Amino acid sequence: MVDAARHPKIDVRTYTNVERVEGYVGNFKVQLREKARHVLADRCNGCGECSKACPIEVPNYFEMNLAPRKAAYVPMSQSVPLRYTIDEEACIHCYKCVDACGALEAIDFSQEDKVVWEDIGSIVVATGFNHFDPSVIPEYGYGRYPNVITAMEMERLNNSAGPTTGNLIRPSDQKNPQRLAIINCVGSRDKRFNPWCSNFCCMYAIKNAVLLKQMNPELEISIYYMDIRTPSKGYEEFYDRARSMGIRFIQGRPSLITEDPQTKNLFVHSEDVVLGKISELEYDMVMLNQAAVPQPDVDTVSSVLNITQSPGGWFMEYHPKLRPVDSPTDGIFLAGACQGLKDIPSSVSSGLATASRAGRILHSDEWEIEPIIAQVWEDRCVMAQGKVCGVCSRACPYGAIVIEEGKAASVTVAKCHGCGGCVAECPHNAITQMHFTDAQVLAQMRALLADRPEEKIFAFRCHWCSYGGADLAGTSHFDYSANERGIRVMCSARMDPDFIYEAFRLGAGAVLYSGCHPQDCHYITGQRVGATRADRLQKLFEKLEMTSGRFRIEWISAAEGDKYSRVINEMQKVIDNIPHDQLMAEIERLRPEMEKRARRMYETPGVDKALVYSDEMVQAITAKEVKSGA
Amino acid sequence: MEHEKGSDLRDLLIVLPGCEKLDMCFSCGTCVSRCPIQQKIEPAYNPRRLLKMIALNMQQESFTSITPYLCSACDLCYSACPQEIHISAVLNGVKKLAMQAGFSTPLKTARVDALTCVGCGFCEKVCPYQAITVKETNVPLRGKNLLIAEVDGAKCMACGTCSSICRSNSIELQDRENSEEVVQDLWSWLETVEMGAEK
Amino acid sequence: MTQKKPLIVLFQCQYCLASSLDQYWVEQELPENVKRVKVPCSGRIDPLYILNAIQGGADGIMVCGCMPEKCHYKEGNLHARRTLNEFRNFLNTLGYPQERFVFHWMNIDERGVIQPLLASFEERLKRSKDRPRLANRMLNQENG
Repeated sequence: MVDAARHPKIDVRTYTNVERVEGYVGNFKVQLREKARHVLADRCNGCGECSKACPIEVPNYFEMNLAPRKAAYVPMSQSVPLRYTIDEEACIHCYKCVDACGALEAIDFSQEDKVVWEDIGSIVVATGFNHFDPSVIPEYGYGRYPNVITAMEMERLNNSAGPTTGNLIRPSDQKNPQRLAIINCVGSRDKRFNPWCSNFCCMYAIKNAVLLKQMNPELEISIYYMDIRTPSKGYEEFYDRARSMGIRFIQGRPSLITEDPQTKNLFVHSEDVVLGKISELEYDMVMLNQAAVPQPDVDTVSSVLNITQSPGGWFMEYHPKLRPVDSPTDGIFLAGACQGLKDIPSSVSSGLATASRAGRILHSDEWEIEPIIAQVWEDRCVMAQGKVCGVCSRACPYGAIVIEEGKAASVTVAKCHGCGGCVAECPHNAITQMHFTDAQVLAQMRALLADRPEEKIFAFRCHWCSYGGADLAGTSHFDYSANERGIRVMCSARMDPDFIYEAFRLGAGAVLYSGCHPQDCHYITGQRVGATRADRLQKLFEKLEMTSGRFRIEWISAAEGDKYSRVINEMQKVIDNIPHDQLMAEIERLRPEMEKRARRMYETPGVDKALVYSDEMVQAITAKEVKSGA
Repeated sequence: MEHEKGSDLRDLLIVLPGCEKLDMCFSCGTCVSRCPIQQKIEPAYNPRRLLKMIALNMQQESFTSITPYLCSACDLCYSACPQEIHISAVLNGVKKLAMQAGFSTPLKTARVDALTCVGCGFCEKVCPYQAITVKETNVPLRGKNLLIAEVDGAKCMACGTCSSICRSNSIELQDRENSEEVVQDLWSWLETVEMGAEK
Repeated sequence: MTQKKPLIVLFQCQYCLASSLDQYWVEQELPENVKRVKVPCSGRIDPLYILNAIQGGADGIMVCGCMPEKCHYKEGNLHARRTLNEFRNFLNTLGYPQERFVFHWMNIDERGVIQPLLASFEERLKRSKDRPRLANRMLNQENG
């Protein structure tokens, strides 16, 4: 940290909030709020005289509130930069610190928050994690029993720079404990609180046990665990070492801690799973190895930076395996535990990975993007004609579309990721997506539905999930109806209602609208744009008295090949259950309505050509089939 | 596959209400230590093992195990279970299946003395398990169609609340904590202490 | 002259003491003037038991069961609370003072509570002046 602060090209801004982020990859504009420290950073030399003079003491968060700090403080003695801050909430304005500071004149009570804008090339988010508060688990009695402490409190109690200078004492009577229990998985792997495994606590418990045992070999330590997870290099060996040092490992999750009211000793009630018997063992002190949870302000950070969250509140990466440190927004990267729980080696490697990813942007003058971006036909956009619209801008998950009164909407190319949400939402068909134009999709549909369309199940699949699901169904040899015909678009947001109308107009037996599960969407909120539209379509078709099941919405992930095949087979059954003449009658009945609703699409540029092209293709294919059949 | 699908103990149970999360048990032992039964009553009682037996389709062992019969559905374990398994529902399910298969509860359940019962229905009202019903019964030596309490042995958990309310001492737990014994014991103690004090 | 220790009958629900040390104390190490009557549930305590204890000369009755909502038999303790409270009021009108008949609903995470509880109950009984006898022993012996 000191090295970073001294580096000529690194500018460390502490006590500063990021309030707004505008712009796009390589060209971000970031609004920072430098909070008032009431100390002039360039004058303060970190001598600490102000802190000595300060009469106010408040709990010290850094010491887990086990020790006090002054209202004029640094969080810890190794703070970088070593500049004091005056805690405005605690300060009583006695100005003793001003006198103590003397000739330096570093204290300035008139200082106010400073808001500055900075030009930034790329952003790395490394906001870390928080720890779970075990006082919400009544059976462990944290907060009621003085000798039940958390892992972080233990960390301060056995730290030589901590409030007790490394002397491990019981909070109730300041005596050194002789028997210590460590309870793992407090609040993690617990559906009542946090379902996830917190990743590093097993090793953390073993580390603490080994450390304490080295300091005091007389200390009896028991670790209560459900499973010990030691997956990385050298971890299992460390676990073995802990066992050989005489640390007792008890398999069984304690259900209750009781306290002797006289001695304040604690009794841990648990089943020893191996023996199948209840044990009720006495300890002087219990350490709860609490779960790691997201920071309390993840929602603010994710809305400022436009990053989505995975279930639980961890920031979502672009791809869990192939792009683990990229956020869905180009130029914003995720390092460390804010993306998902990591121990120190993994945090360091993810930090190094983000540094190189971020550096790549800073070193290049040009930035390559996928060519599937959206484009506006300015002559068709009603905004240009002075009308009020802006539907496209609302649909865009990236804020890439700028609308101005009297001007056609314009797409910020570097921000566009090509989900196609705006294209499908535009009521005037004024936007198209390169490589997924209406004409191109239409040509595919017409080719696929050329022959006996009433027998076909027409599937719209999103590139990332349901297309992968269909692929998996194929490679896993899950049987599904051979009448399925599918086309790929980038996101369920691109599945234009016009396409669905057109598919039914062409006489498709059934249409599947499929995409990612909401939390898996690769375009932040693209799936939600698609899902709202699909629900609207579903209602419309109900109103038009279409046989239910002919239009179906399913969210299928790339791992759900079985679900894909099941859905297609169920849809096949729906078609099979409708008598043929009845189905044909229904298709005929709905055709004019569908044609009316899709009419705008036929006006878009290129569609006329696509129709001719697809007809030619159909003829060519049919001719070929006839030839090879003969 | 040896078994026909749906015939495994697990398959029979998972469809019952409350048993949906049956497969989620990872054997942490919280339920066992939360429950007072193993410590106070029966060392062989172990719901964690029963869940494992269900997973391994050990039907006979599950039915003969004491565990499903002793659970009185206080649900202390349910609120503590990290996997949110409704264990008492599972145990009750096993108990029902066992009863259907012809096993009977080893509990010393309540018994009605038909000769003295007046059919007041107090016990029916207080029973926490709805195990008691007042029915028309033909009682030898007393006459036909008398209203008499009847205990459903499958439901009774032997808590004894019924016998504390009974005004005619007609309902009594079999064997354990018999009223007369309790009172006799009390009197003999009082007598010996008084005697000791007088000396 | 040393005062005679008051006789206490402790009705204890078999599940109410979570700690095995407390349970052992109640079973094995009770002082001589205390008699423990083990019941499966506080709901099992028949008012007749209490009446018998009082007639037999007990100076104090303590009922010890589980907290509401924590009853091993769902609602046996609620039933006990209703019935015994009523019975206690009834005894009071008959001249057996309320403070000689106490309830204690044990919480599951309490440990080492029963010992001081009994001690303080005994202390209070010693200090109280009236030593009522609801009935004489002759009467009971007539009843058999």
